[in-house]
Amino acid sequence: MKKPKVAFFDFACCEGCQLQVANLGEDLLDILDTIDVVEFREVMTEKWDQGYDVAVIEGSITNEHAIEKIKRIRERSKILIAYGSCATIGGVNGMKNDFELNEIEAHVYQENAKHFKTVPTMAVSQVVKVDYFVNGCPIYPPEFITVLKCALAGLPYHVPDNVVCVECKINENICMYDKGVTCLGPVTKAGCNSWCINNGNVCYGCRGMVSNPNENSAKDVLSKYNISLDLIKNKMNMYNKCRELNKNEKDKS
Amino acid sequence: MKNAILKKEKLDDFIKIMSKDEKVIAPVLKGNQSYTFTEVKSADEISLKYLPTILPPKKYFMPQHETLIEYDKRNGQKVHCVVEVEDLVIFGVHTCDLAGIQCLNMIFADRPKDMNYLIRKNRITLIGLECNSYCDEFASCALMGNHIPKGGYDLLFTDLGNYFFVEINTRKGEELIEKTNLFENADSNHQEELNKLRKLKESIFKPEVDIDKNEIPSLFKKKFESKIWEDIGERCLSCGNCTNVCPTCYCFDVLDIPDLNLKTGKRVRVWDSCQNEPFAKISGGESFREKRGDRKRHRFNRKFRYPVERYGKFFCTGCGRCSRTCMAKIDLKETIRDLIKEGN
Amino acid sequence: MEKIHINNSGYEIVPAKIVSTRKMTEQEKIFELKLVHGLSLDHEPGQFVEVSILGVGEAPISVCSSPTKRDSFEICVRAVKDGRFSNAMHNLDIGDEVGIRGPFGVGFPAAKLEGYDIIMVAGGLGIAPLRSLINYIIDNRREYGKVSLLLGCKDPQSMLFADEIDLWQKRVDINFSCTVDRGAPDWKGNVGLITSLIPNVNIDPERTYAVVVGPPVMYKFVIKELLSKGIPEHQILVSLERHMKCGLGKCGHCQIHNIYCCQDGPVFSYNNIKELKGAI
Ligand SMILES: Cc1cc2nc3c(=O)[nH]c(=O)nc-3n(C[C@H](O)[C@H](O)[C@H](O)COP(=O)(O)OP(=O)(O)OC[C@H]3O[C@@H](n4cnc5c(N)ncnc54)[C@H](O)[C@@H]3O)c2cc1C
Ligand code: SF4
Ligand code: SF4
Ligand code: SF4
Ligand code: SF4
Ligand code: SF4
Ligand code: FES
Repeated sequence: MKKPKVAFFDFACCEGCQLQVANLGEDLLDILDTIDVVEFREVMTEKWDQGYDVAVIEGSITNEHAIEKIKRIRERSKILIAYGSCATIGGVNGMKNDFELNEIEAHVYQENAKHFKTVPTMAVSQVVKVDYFVNGCPIYPPEFITVLKCALAGLPYHVPDNVVCVECKINENICMYDKGVTCLGPVTKAGCNSWCINNGNVCYGCRGMVSNPNENSAKDVLSKYNISLDLIKNKMNMYNKCRELNKNEKDKS
Repeated sequence: MKNAILKKEKLDDFIKIMSKDEKVIAPVLKGNQSYTFTEVKSADEISLKYLPTILPPKKYFMPQHETLIEYDKRNGQKVHCVVEVEDLVIFGVHTCDLAGIQCLNMIFADRPKDMNYLIRKNRITLIGLECNSYCDEFASCALMGNHIPKGGYDLLFTDLGNYFFVEINTRKGEELIEKTNLFENADSNHQEELNKLRKLKESIFKPEVDIDKNEIPSLFKKKFESKIWEDIGERCLSCGNCTNVCPTCYCFDVLDIPDLNLKTGKRVRVWDSCQNEPFAKISGGESFREKRGDRKRHRFNRKFRYPVERYGKFFCTGCGRCSRTCMAKIDLKETIRDLIKEGN
Repeated sequence: MEKIHINNSGYEIVPAKIVSTRKMTEQEKIFELKLVHGLSLDHEPGQFVEVSILGVGEAPISVCSSPTKRDSFEICVRAVKDGRFSNAMHNLDIGDEVGIRGPFGVGFPAAKLEGYDIIMVAGGLGIAPLRSLINYIIDNRREYGKVSLLLGCKDPQSMLFADEIDLWQKRVDINFSCTVDRGAPDWKGNVGLITSLIPNVNIDPERTYAVVVGPPVMYKFVIKELLSKGIPEHQILVSLERHMKCGLGKCGHCQIHNIYCCQDGPVFSYNNIKELKGAI
């Protein structure tokens, strides 16, 4: 069997996720046995100009040039994987939407797009069709491997719609709230095996919120720890700002 | 039945001798007043006075992740059903948690039997540890009648000052005593001291909620449409903590994990929770317990009513873990009290 | 950790070969399966099996053929959007192998229905489990009274088992009618809800069993109509769909109050579940 051709591309991001892949170690060798990496900025330089079986995209879409580029990649790829919070949910780059949305018309990325140099930060799926999502900032390497296996087997991957607490309790961590520290686990999508908490950190919500978070109750819980409402809002928005673009879209239609 | 005593200073030898042949598991302080069952090699690692552990000992009977089958389809479909087992002695299990294991036994022995559970269970030796007083204010073991031992152990330790009174409940337990050769026979004085403690416990442990236990199932039936479920639902985060930590919750998910070659792999089961949003959703998108309140009501009914109707057994041991762990402060005893208070 | 192999696990699968396939609509495909070593599935009409594709997963699927057909059995699988198992199943072909567990659950009590008039009501994919009963009854036609079959689906293109329906329609010993939610230019049959077919059936309520299978929304309305005809509650049978994982009454996904749908169902008589809020 011919090995599938896989390419990695990055947009606006810190390239931390590529680093995660480059650091996969032994697993990486196994992966390289099954795929052909044709473009990977972090570790290779040669350019491939034919089609890709799988394109792996990192980073969010923040300007015209990026929109054009991602569209071209999509055309040339059979399967497109968005990985990392920037690509899957807009991530931290979405924070800019808070400041600039006043200046940029909400409809800017439609017909008059070319008059503007910058566009609101968008997740990749807000521009082109995405087949697989690997959330996280950075990605959780075992999940990336799971998704890669799904892509190679032609199976859909469903990002868990349970919250991080589920995995956290299964790992028998002491709850951060019992330590008197706040944690975004109860509203954040699972799938990372709660690795931050396993390593003594709080969950800062990098995988984005579950589809139906109980935000009100989560705010109540947080507020018992004497945190101001603004801070709570910021905490929740840090990775989830780009959700609003979808909401606006829905309102329009 | 013969009983024995173990001087406290000999506990360390007991643990050490056992741990030469088998893994010994016991409650250990993890930090912030949180304890876990984990492997120990000596007695000084063990917390003899401990709050119910984060996860109950069910994790050894029904592990969080468990392989059910291993497959290989490089040459036709080859499948092996597997059980991952190991010989364990679990020391220091409170009576509420022993009751929890008895609930699980009932479920997995019910037809069709779950061989993975049953085989594993037979490889585990259980040494109970009686509570002389309440662990904390979340407990409701007296309401459920689990503050006193009711079987479910090979040996039961009761702390009587400078020695443990040890009830020998099984031949397996007796063998441990013979093997370690550290125990003395209990005489009538020891028995007398045990009786005194039990008497004292009667004045300490009182049903924590003012209701006849046998009335609880009908209370839940009557209160099925109560607004209380909606109120709790508004607070609940669907985090699943209350079910993961519960000694009697046994729901699971089954999924395949292929290897990178995509030809070999395994099918596993992992703990799941009825509190999770996708738990009862079918492919058309319909969810049969869509609202958080529906799911909370389901959990409570699965503790206090459905299993009583189906198996003749309450599936709440009174360990208090669900209330202790809930960030939204949804409290089991309070909920029952609210249901009672609401009247008709 | 020691690993032991066991051969009495509830998760053991029996390999089955696909011996024929038939694409019925854009979404639905029928697979005829044969268990290895000439084993017979030996199911009751209305029971289901857990079908495995190793590496993909398992899904509960009704056996849609009658147990009177013994050397092979059939399943009808709908490819659901983003569904892991169902789409992988559609990619399989003759000669490929799947794994089978089961049959599971309580099916239709075909023997108990003998001597009664039978009215069967199927909506959408509900025809799949019901077909096992229909063909069973046809093969044992003498034992039953009047037999009526009422079918409903979205539109004529999504009609399942169209070739068989043609045959059923032509039989004198079956009273057949069918309706679609949305017609098509060449559709000559009824257009409207399935409930609209019930008034046309001549029912002797005391000696009639009604069997209803369809999407969740359908039950309430059909049952109401059947009750208004005077059919006793315990003579109305339904088959319920729930999320299922183990099929063994353990995993909890299929639970309705104190009932495990996979073991105690999927077929229930209405009087046993009408008090269970959310069941219907
Ligand atoms: C008793 C019974 C009989 C059924 N008979 C048929 C049939 O004859 N033909 C047919 O096409 N479909 C039938 N279904 C529905 C079928 O099981 C689901 O459509 C199928 O599980 C979807 O799997 P998927 O992996 O493609 O979808 P996904 O959405 O990827 O499902 C993910 C997982 O969720 C579970 N799941 C999702 N939906 C359901 C569901 N409705 N029921 C149970 N588990 C679910 C499955 O275990 C699956 O592994 C039946 C369901 C039940 C309960
Ligand atoms: S530490 Fe965070 S993720 Fe873990 S249980 Fe507590 S709130 Fe949830
Ligand atoms: S625990 Fe939270 S912050 Fe950490 S990886 Fe998971 S989702 Fe991201
Ligand atoms: S622990 Fe509390 S918040 Fe979490 S699911 Fe249970 S009741 Fe809801
Ligand atoms: S319901 Fe709560 S108190 Fe009862 S056994 Fe479960 S965790 Fe313990
Ligand atoms: S709930 Fe009762 S039996 Fe359990 S640990 Fe607390 S005091 Fe002991
Ligand atoms: S499918 Fe697991 S309990 Fe019914």
